[in-house]
Amino acid sequence: MVEVLNNKKVLTKGNYAIANAAVIAGCDCYFGYPITPQSEIGEFMSGKMQELNRGYVSAESELAAINMCIGACATGKKAMTSSSSCAIALMQEGLSYATSDELPVVVISVMRGGPGLGNIFPSQGDYNQATIGGGDGDYKVIVLSPSTVQEAVDLTYKTFHLAHKYRNPAMLLADGLLGQMMEPVEFGEYPYKDFDHSSWALSGAKGRKQRIIRSYSPVEAPQCDHIRHLFDKYKQMEENEVMFEEFWTEDADLIVTSFGSLSRNVKAAIKQLRAKGLKIGFFRPITLFPFPNKRVQELANKTKKFLAIEVNMGQMVRDVRLAVNGKIPVEFYGKPVGSWPSVEELAEAIEREVK
Amino acid sequence: MEKNFLIAGFGGQGVLLAGEVLANAFMLMDKNVTWYPCYGAEMRGGTVNCEIVMSDDEVSSVNKAEADFIVVLNQASFDKFENKVKKGGYLIVNTTLAEEKRNRSDIEYIFAPIAQMAEDLGNVKMANMLALGLLSRASKLFSVDILEKALDNVLPPHRKNLLPMNKTAMEMGYKYDLLPINC
Repeated sequence: MVEVLNNKKVLTKGNYAIANAAVIAGCDCYFGYPITPQSEIGEFMSGKMQELNRGYVSAESELAAINMCIGACATGKKAMTSSSSCAIALMQEGLSYATSDELPVVVISVMRGGPGLGNIFPSQGDYNQATIGGGDGDYKVIVLSPSTVQEAVDLTYKTFHLAHKYRNPAMLLADGLLGQMMEPVEFGEYPYKDFDHSSWALSGAKGRKQRIIRSYSPVEAPQCDHIRHLFDKYKQMEENEVMFEEFWTEDADLIVTSFGSLSRNVKAAIKQLRAKGLKIGFFRPITLFPFPNKRVQELANKTKKFLAIEVNMGQMVRDVRLAVNGKIPVEFYGKPVGSWPSVEELAEAIEREVK
Repeated sequence: MEKNFLIAGFGGQGVLLAGEVLANAFMLMDKNVTWYPCYGAEMRGGTVNCEIVMSDDEVSSVNKAEADFIVVLNQASFDKFENKVKKGGYLIVNTTLAEEKRNRSDIEYIFAPIAQMAEDLGNVKMANMLALGLLSRASKLFSVDILEKALDNVLPPHRKNLLPMNKTAMEMGYKYDLLPINC
């Protein structure tokens, strides 16, 4: 199981695929604490990282894990952690600090049921946790959302790339279904260049001026400048990094939006309804932050209605509504947690919206 | 074309492995395929199942309401999944651990003493591979040769010696006389 596989199609569990992709992306250190449904990531790393003489620490808590990531990233290394829902909750403070410190912490979040301890079944209940977050202050985390195991690999590479490009924490937001399922994947090689962090990393001050990385700023003006600088980066991300998938939107009376692995059920339902002659389009944000606001605004001028489908009580639908800005109705269909709604159930729910 | 399979039994019967071999077989045939296990508070001796969906296009979904082919290796799985077979679909039953009973007239039943046959062959642990042989014959969607390559993919290097024996089990399943069930 613990084998780095390049250039060959292999049937791999989502969690192992993500872990293997992180290794190929050059992850120097992994820090984590086990939790279902993502424990295979730590399991894989515990063997592989040692074998490659890289860093692996089974942390004493999630709070420790995220702060170990901050420490490792401060030295210019590629560091990551992985966890799930109620334990990602414990990392919120760290994410806020890492954002202010401008450290490229990579987080893999594999969603399970909440709130509280919830259960271990798949869910999409952490859209808000990922895109809004629970840390303090004005900050944003880059969030990418895969729908297949192959895309989980590709977006793990991208998560590392964007974190290091913008020196900002980045999160791959997967779900229990994707983490546990096996699909054929090709890993290939890490498709991005590494960034030079030598101008800021804490590499030892011998022969140069001391550097300090900290989020504490007791004077008003520099702190305002610092936060404006962070938001300049978010603006650049919104201009350059937005990713989405869409089809059949040009003539659609209704556009259905969903994210993550659920969107595959939604796609299949839309294909059934198109075959019946109903003009329904599909739109899937791949970057949840930066959210594809501009494209949703454009689509709001073409179509008559949006329907957001999620396995939560309505989280991404708020972002769709913000982008649509009241121009056309934005409806919601979903369930809180558990097995994804069947294609038949979704087809019925979508058809109701166009009748 | 999209077809889905469900394999179910006790923990320890090699249910998840059988599913992994089947999914590998479809991958080797250049199909899109998804394997998905039931996961919860599972343990050895408890029930376990996995679902395999193969498709010429992107696999649309797992957790489907019904399956084209279901393999049940014990009574509990028979009771749970008999009604999940799609109309016109197949239910393959290990009669060593489940009763030979037909409660539906709109599906095909294949009854075989799968565990007993594996035991007679030398090891009851091969029941899962023998069941895949039966599934190959019933579904006509993959061959025993592909199954063998798929098992080779899954076996770690230090277990490759088990390959010939398991291939024999697959062939035995494939050659099992299906005729009685069709009368």
